[in-house]
Amino acid sequence: MFFYYCDLAWRSIRKTPMLSMLMVLAISIGIGITITTLNVYKTMSYNPAGDRSEVINSVQLWSQGLDTWDEFSSNMTYTDAMNLRNNNELSFKAATFRTGLAMQSDNPKIEPVLQSVRVTDRDFFKIFSVPFLYGSYWDVSVDERPAYQVVISQKLNLRFFEGKNSVGKTVFLDRKPYQIVGVIEDWNPQPKYYDPLNGAFNDAEEIFIPFSLTAQEEFDVWGNTSGWKFEPMLTYNDRLLSEKVWIQFWTELSNQEQKQSYLAWLTRYVEQQRTMGRFTDSAKTPSELVQISHVEKWLEDNNVVPKDTRILVGLSLLFLSVCLVNILGLLLTKFLKRAPEVGVRRAIGASRGQIFSQYMVEVSMIGFIGGVVGLLWAFGSLTALHAYFEVDQSLIGLDMSMWFITPLIAISTAVIAGIYPAWVVCRTKPSVYLKAQ
Amino acid sequence: MLHIKPILSSLMRSKSSPILLLLQIILSVAIVANASFIINERLSLMQRESGYAEEQILTFSVYNFDPSIDNMKQNQVDQQILRSLPNVIDASYSNMLPLSDSGWMDRYVDGPDEDTAKSTPGFAFYLGNEHLLNVMGAKLIAGRNFSADEINTGLDDSGMLALVSQPLAKAFWGDESPLGKTMYQGTQTVTIIGVVDKLQGAWVDHENFEYSVIQNIDFGGSSSNKSYMVRALPEHIKGLEETIRKAFHAENPNRVLDNFQTVAELRDRSYSNHRLMATVLSIMVVLLLLITALGLTGMVMFNIQRRTKQIGTRRALGARKRDIIQYFMVENYLICIVGGVIGGMLALVLGQQLMSLYSLPMVPVIYPILSVIGLLVVTTLAVIVPAAKAANISPALATRSV
Amino acid sequence: MLSMKNINKVFKTDLVETHALRDFNLEVNEGEFVAVTGPSGSGKTTFLNIAGLLEGFTTGEFSLDGVNVSNLSDNHSAKVRNEKIGFIFQGFNLIPDLNLAENVEVPLRYRGMNASERKRRVESALEQVGLGARMKHLPTQLSGGQQQRVAIARALAGEPRFLLADEPTGNLDSLMARQVMELLENINQQGTTIIMVTHDPELARRAQRNIQIVDGQVCDFSMYQPAATGTR
Repeated sequence: MFFYYCDLAWRSIRKTPMLSMLMVLAISIGIGITITTLNVYKTMSYNPAGDRSEVINSVQLWSQGLDTWDEFSSNMTYTDAMNLRNNNELSFKAATFRTGLAMQSDNPKIEPVLQSVRVTDRDFFKIFSVPFLYGSYWDVSVDERPAYQVVISQKLNLRFFEGKNSVGKTVFLDRKPYQIVGVIEDWNPQPKYYDPLNGAFNDAEEIFIPFSLTAQEEFDVWGNTSGWKFEPMLTYNDRLLSEKVWIQFWTELSNQEQKQSYLAWLTRYVEQQRTMGRFTDSAKTPSELVQISHVEKWLEDNNVVPKDTRILVGLSLLFLSVCLVNILGLLLTKFLKRAPEVGVRRAIGASRGQIFSQYMVEVSMIGFIGGVVGLLWAFGSLTALHAYFEVDQSLIGLDMSMWFITPLIAISTAVIAGIYPAWVVCRTKPSVYLKAQ
Repeated sequence: MLHIKPILSSLMRSKSSPILLLLQIILSVAIVANASFIINERLSLMQRESGYAEEQILTFSVYNFDPSIDNMKQNQVDQQILRSLPNVIDASYSNMLPLSDSGWMDRYVDGPDEDTAKSTPGFAFYLGNEHLLNVMGAKLIAGRNFSADEINTGLDDSGMLALVSQPLAKAFWGDESPLGKTMYQGTQTVTIIGVVDKLQGAWVDHENFEYSVIQNIDFGGSSSNKSYMVRALPEHIKGLEETIRKAFHAENPNRVLDNFQTVAELRDRSYSNHRLMATVLSIMVVLLLLITALGLTGMVMFNIQRRTKQIGTRRALGARKRDIIQYFMVENYLICIVGGVIGGMLALVLGQQLMSLYSLPMVPVIYPILSVIGLLVVTTLAVIVPAAKAANISPALATRSV
Repeated sequence: MLSMKNINKVFKTDLVETHALRDFNLEVNEGEFVAVTGPSGSGKTTFLNIAGLLEGFTTGEFSLDGVNVSNLSDNHSAKVRNEKIGFIFQGFNLIPDLNLAENVEVPLRYRGMNASERKRRVESALEQVGLGARMKHLPTQLSGGQQQRVAIARALAGEPRFLLADEPTGNLDSLMARQVMELLENINQQGTTIIMVTHDPELARRAQRNIQIVDGQVCDFSMYQPAATGTR
């Protein structure tokens, strides 16, 4: 019976080509716009941590003074980062910030490149499950006693070492020799959830060096440094001792108990710091001055999905609803025109359900065609976005799920639009249309 | 005579199709009003004058990675090189680049005691030398620029001078002239010596975007990573990158030059999200009107087909062609206006939602009104063709039994 | 076969009540060919609609083929129409998008019959009306008489117990009308009960039995038209 309905639907669609085209156009444009914005939204709101989202946590401290900032900063001071690193209760912890260094190798033929560099601890690789191609992260002792060791990306390894295992070799960062301890496989989480503060969709760094080198190497900070009081930073040491925040801190907390006990530890830490004249916001209790955020919350707090995107998704859904009403009108028009035929079918013994099904199959078919065309629109508009607006490449790839979601939305839109017309037409009184035409 | 009453009562009797039209118009007005408001808002953001000679300023960054380089000296040498290049009008170090999305912000207070002093709003904090103003192409409207012998090199030097942007001066001092005022940063004092007409900061979406200060510090010696701004006529900008690269590497090869961009390009990138939003919304509005118009045409055509006999009868009874056209137009306008009023109200409600959810400003009433007018125009176009067709129906049809 | 007892059908609007049928009684036996006549507005069409289960009625009792079909659900009456009743209309009411075979096939589709059985029945029905060679033609390519024969084939394909014909020759010229009439008589001879509504006394006279509806009631044919009771 289904194939019979399909056959009838196809004939009916072909019989009124203009009307059918109008409907397909309306549905496909609505779908095209919706899928475009939905795709951007979906990519932006993707959580790369997956099922580790709850486990991976970042720490925020309210170190600002009274009446200054009115929310937690995503960054913390060097002092706090160092103290939190030294807390041995935590099994995994990593302080991290971004810098830039010029990279060279022994090979003079390869030009030096200025690279953005992640300064961090060895646990960073574990927390974020960074995959290694050769070697591994540096030894735990390096986090305590600085050593000039480095982990580089597969791409840089290809460029400087022709892709061979370069573990043990030396590269120069700002002309200082660093020993390669590991080469990681391609790793570029989007959004860049471990540091969305400087462009949530920028590429991951390709060089990783120990955080313990920070004080002696005085790495520039390629990121935000924020202060809430006047503190001139004349030397790097001023920066390290200041209340300025510029470091992010990550840890792993696998269950609620661990979270509670860590929060308790942080509260005790803040109490202790208060006795030393820090954490001066007297309007808050120590437990209000600490916060741990799992990845989901962290992405939310850092506005990884811009509000414009949300507005666009909302408006495009409204747009789709206009298309829906539009199609509804056209379908009603079309179906009512066919009422005499329905009368005949009813007289011959078709039940209401059979007539209803016939028309639902027809609208589904229109919806499906509209969905396919809409997918093409979406593909085209995403490509155009990339070409004309420097929208990041990673945002414009049509998500795999869209291949299922699109026809689903298209067909359900058409079906919703079709229910009323099909209902009206299936309730046609057979006797009305049978008299001489 | 428009005969609204019979049209209205006939509309009331035919249930679904006018209601659908109404619904579509309500939604369209709500969307179009909000979208066009956002578009307009973004466009006016993008049209703000920056105060810079955008097309004439090439910016770039230098990274001296050789630890043996004396950054202080190198900074002076590099600026000399830049200024002596052919076609270069002027060049200067700057700690931050206008409209670049990254930079420094700071604030001054008006007294030595931090607890009692009043703080200025936050402003973009440019550090540079006496050349910077000329490179920017910014207009000094009061006071004077720095002179060469007044330039400091460190943040803790004495004799700090500042140029402030006019909007900042207005915001903090009102109508009083800021010239000669002494401001404080911790223990340091800063004397304001000039007011610049327009001087935008780095973040186009920041509420204090127009508040800026230039202080007399050539900070290029403080680190190995720095940025410069070079001014040249637009026709010379193109070849300048190559010239600069060559000249810098000839002087010292141990550095990386990067991020060559004009301020116009920086501006373009900074506003790209707004441009994107405005474009996408414009396309949406156009498509929406198109779909509404097509849907309307389709429905009017159907109505005419259904009423062929009735129209023929009317014609036979003496209706002129224009009466028939008028009938359909009035019918359409009735739906449009009712839909417009409801849609306009919905637009305001929707605007309120957007406002509370995304802290957007409220939609002014003029937008729904304009949307309704726009929709009236579009529907007129959509209805007039089928209506004219209907008017051509022969009166003889009335006598046939079909 | 068909038995109507005290059927009343009342149409109500805000202002008036119209009694389309009042205390309507009729018995039709298996294999009969009954012609129904009457002036327009007498209730002929209402009778036909009720007999064909296209409409319900207000009070009374109606049984078809020994089964009470009063107050059937919509679905149930659709099923009865599909399986037991064949319709023939004045305007043929073929579906213009479908070719002849597909038109004839429609009732079989709704019965959920398999493809080979459908094919067999469609072919035999079209053969029976003499259009076996034109299965792929569209209705618009045929003359009125041919179209009506297709409509008859469609009614026959379902192998119904009885046929309802509403002015089957009303749109046809006299030659074609005679052909269609002969076809109906053939079908009747093969055992199918036929009820035909017509206002043409010529045609009515060819039926076995005539009834007349006046003001929604059956006028006894034996009293008014004794001559019309023919025998086969």
